[in-house]
Amino acid sequence: MVGDTMILFELLLILLTAYSVGFIYYGLYRNITARFQRRFGPPITQSFYDSIKFFSKEESTSHGWMFYLGPIIAMSGAIMTLFFIPIFSNSTAFQGLSEYGNLFVVLYLMVLGPLGNALGVGVSGNPFGVMGVTRGLSRLFALELPFYIALIALMSINQTADIATIASNQQETINAIAYPLLFIPALFAFIGMMGQSPFDVVGAPVEVYSGPASEFSGKFLALLMSQSAIFSFAKLVLMVHLFLGGASGFIELLLKTFILFLFVIAFGSLYGRFKTPQSIDFLLKVPTAIAIVGLILATYN
Amino acid sequence: MRIINALLALISLIILVSFWQDNFSLYVDLALLDLHGVVIGIQTSALANLFALLIGFSWLMVSLASFASKQSSHPALFRWLPILSFALFLMVYTVDYLLFFIGWEIMSIVTYFILAPTLTPQALIKYVLFAMASALALLMGIVILYSGAETLLYMDANQGFMLLSLEMKIVVTLLMLFAFFIKLGAIGLHYWVVDSYQQADTLFSAYLSAILSKMGLYGVIIFLTQAVDIYSFDATLLTYSIALIGVISSIIATFKAIREDDLKRLLAYSSIAQLGYIVTVLALANGMGGALYHAIIHTLIKLLLFINIASIIALTKRSKVSELGGLIYRTPHSFVMLLIAIIALAGMPPLGGFASKYLIYTSLLDAKMLLILSAVMFASVSGFLYIYKLIYGIYLGHPTHKSLESLQEVSKWYLLPQYIIALLLIIIGTFPALIIPMINSVLRQLYLTSIPYETITTLESPLGAYNGSVIMGAFGAIFVVVLFFLWRVKSKTKEAKDRFDIAYCGEEPTTTTPLHYGYGMTKELQRVSFIATIWHSSSGTFYNALTEILYAFSNRIRKLYTGNLAINFNWIILFAVLLLWWGTQ
Repeated sequence: MVGDTMILFELLLILLTAYSVGFIYYGLYRNITARFQRRFGPPITQSFYDSIKFFSKEESTSHGWMFYLGPIIAMSGAIMTLFFIPIFSNSTAFQGLSEYGNLFVVLYLMVLGPLGNALGVGVSGNPFGVMGVTRGLSRLFALELPFYIALIALMSINQTADIATIASNQQETINAIAYPLLFIPALFAFIGMMGQSPFDVVGAPVEVYSGPASEFSGKFLALLMSQSAIFSFAKLVLMVHLFLGGASGFIELLLKTFILFLFVIAFGSLYGRFKTPQSIDFLLKVPTAIAIVGLILATYN
Repeated sequence: MRIINALLALISLIILVSFWQDNFSLYVDLALLDLHGVVIGIQTSALANLFALLIGFSWLMVSLASFASKQSSHPALFRWLPILSFALFLMVYTVDYLLFFIGWEIMSIVTYFILAPTLTPQALIKYVLFAMASALALLMGIVILYSGAETLLYMDANQGFMLLSLEMKIVVTLLMLFAFFIKLGAIGLHYWVVDSYQQADTLFSAYLSAILSKMGLYGVIIFLTQAVDIYSFDATLLTYSIALIGVISSIIATFKAIREDDLKRLLAYSSIAQLGYIVTVLALANGMGGALYHAIIHTLIKLLLFINIASIIALTKRSKVSELGGLIYRTPHSFVMLLIAIIALAGMPPLGGFASKYLIYTSLLDAKMLLILSAVMFASVSGFLYIYKLIYGIYLGHPTHKSLESLQEVSKWYLLPQYIIALLLIIIGTFPALIIPMINSVLRQLYLTSIPYETITTLESPLGAYNGSVIMGAFGAIFVVVLFFLWRVKSKTKEAKDRFDIAYCGEEPTTTTPLHYGYGMTKELQRVSFIATIWHSSSGTFYNALTEILYAFSNRIRKLYTGNLAINFNWIILFAVLLLWWGTQ
């Protein structure tokens, strides 16, 4: 019983960490992009206040019970992803529920959230929202192909699908240096997963009036914002474990995730946006070809 | 007729379950018919029981759904369904190729009788041609196999196969796989599948997709394990060829499904894609477990999907994504059932669909078929597009026609089988190792390594395990907590006035605004060259070219064989002279 309470406490702590770090990173993202564009940008805590404000909005429009369930499934998917990724490698603490799952489970949990969101968008009846969803799903398979190839190679090299083992097997050289031809395509996919240019046509922030979030307002929007903050953190931790050698302490984890995050937003600030077919075309050609070469070099020797 | 049919299905299923553990065998020597040495028989085995259970279950579910309408829309279906099902039972319980072939023929012919009233002549001729090609190839394969050791029994088939020359081994393997892949609908040989599934009575489409296609699978399993004994020698080339056929089928069929507007055609392609996953791992020694698991899951999912679609088509008289929409609050129960079906079809963790995909993936990873694994996962994730199109097109978005706005929930008889299947999918998702003992007994029968098994909650594999109960429990708990939080949070919600109360670029849409996104969905993928290539190429091109060649050939023949009696007489004389000459040699 004590163990169960401890696990619950740990999970809560993981969730709070992800929530706050996620929002700080989002604030940093807005700030750093602003600097790239020679603006000052909002304070770092602005996104956090935004979400609190949205949660306490007096009214928000709903389109029936499925409209509620959509964001809730999205949120549950994000939290599940977070819980099934160990936070630290080489440690028994903060493993979450990772001992009950593995990389395949995490890969599929990662798409559960977007599907829930897509259902919520669909039921709202907003055609612009659904346009965003189809763009997202079209981009998804193109993103996942190089990502899967890289991850499959890693799983085959380590002979396990366990994330913690893959992370702790990188004591000497981290996978990003040992297998650059797997890291580069995975990074391309990761940029897309984080919703950054050139693969950000789904949300199309700022300019285009479409995207999955079109119809959500008030507390639904706040829930989706929190979801994206938690989900971003989970994805960063996963990437750090798989390619950057994992992390055995909180400082190391923050440092490594921040470096990765900084790279992603810097890359995003520098490039323009692909149309959906362009991004699919690109992802299915360049990163996929690199990943296949990387897989062959890494495993057939 | 429907009641008798349903009772027969129920009785068969009860007999199956109650005599599950019993062994029964009956062998008959056909010496009485002057066929010395030919032994035929039937016998229970783990593999046969497993497939028989799937047959009985599918039959019962389809029969239950048939009570939905007062008048049966297709009386012939339920007259023939018992005969069809018994033919399938005969096929799975027999231990020799003679009875198997007889069962195969009854299956093909009865399927023709059921399809004939509803199919267009063109679709029907496709079915007939492919069924005939399949049967002929099967017969030739069996005859060659028989020529080896002069026996038709499965258990001696390997002996006969080994006595054949290498060329004959290749020929017989190709013939048999050709025959079974036609039934499975492997890509290229799927030409008949889509039209038949589309135009058949929807409940029969469910039966076709859920179980008839599995008979091809059963044939492949029997042939590869009993005759070829593929796992006993280094059959890398054969293994890779079969895996490639499977994976190419799943990728092409997935993208074809994405384009389809018609619900039944979409599901037909989806069926081809899902069977592709099974075929991919079929020839791997450690993949059989995943293949069987996915066969079971696919049977459940396709029954659920087709019964759901059948109810919607019966309710609305429409079957296209672009003509439906917005049914969620009219038919909420059907919506939830389809939601469960698509989550399982997508292979998402809380439900049963993930367990089988997990086994397939880990077996491919274990066998070091990494690029094929990548391709399979790519096909699986691409499938989300058609899966979303399916649920959005029917239930979400806006109704595309006034008649869709005043509908009631579908008949309870449609919902009953759906509840049963959805419950099974949830149970299998929570306890993914629940059916592992059943699969392991099949694997033992085929002399393959069992899947490790400790508790029903944890699905083991060589590269790691996962606990289905924890995933289901955690998901449920998080879901409830988030729901509670969202409900308790201070802000109020206001229900939208009507369906036009949406954020629409600051304008107000009216009834004439095209708001349903179902029609143009996924069309933009046309601009991706890879996908456009798949969309614009069809196996029809090949078969049309083949037809042209045959016509040209026939025209040549017609110059010799003109129909003129005098000329024909000359040919006969020439033939007789040739025969005489041959006789004197």
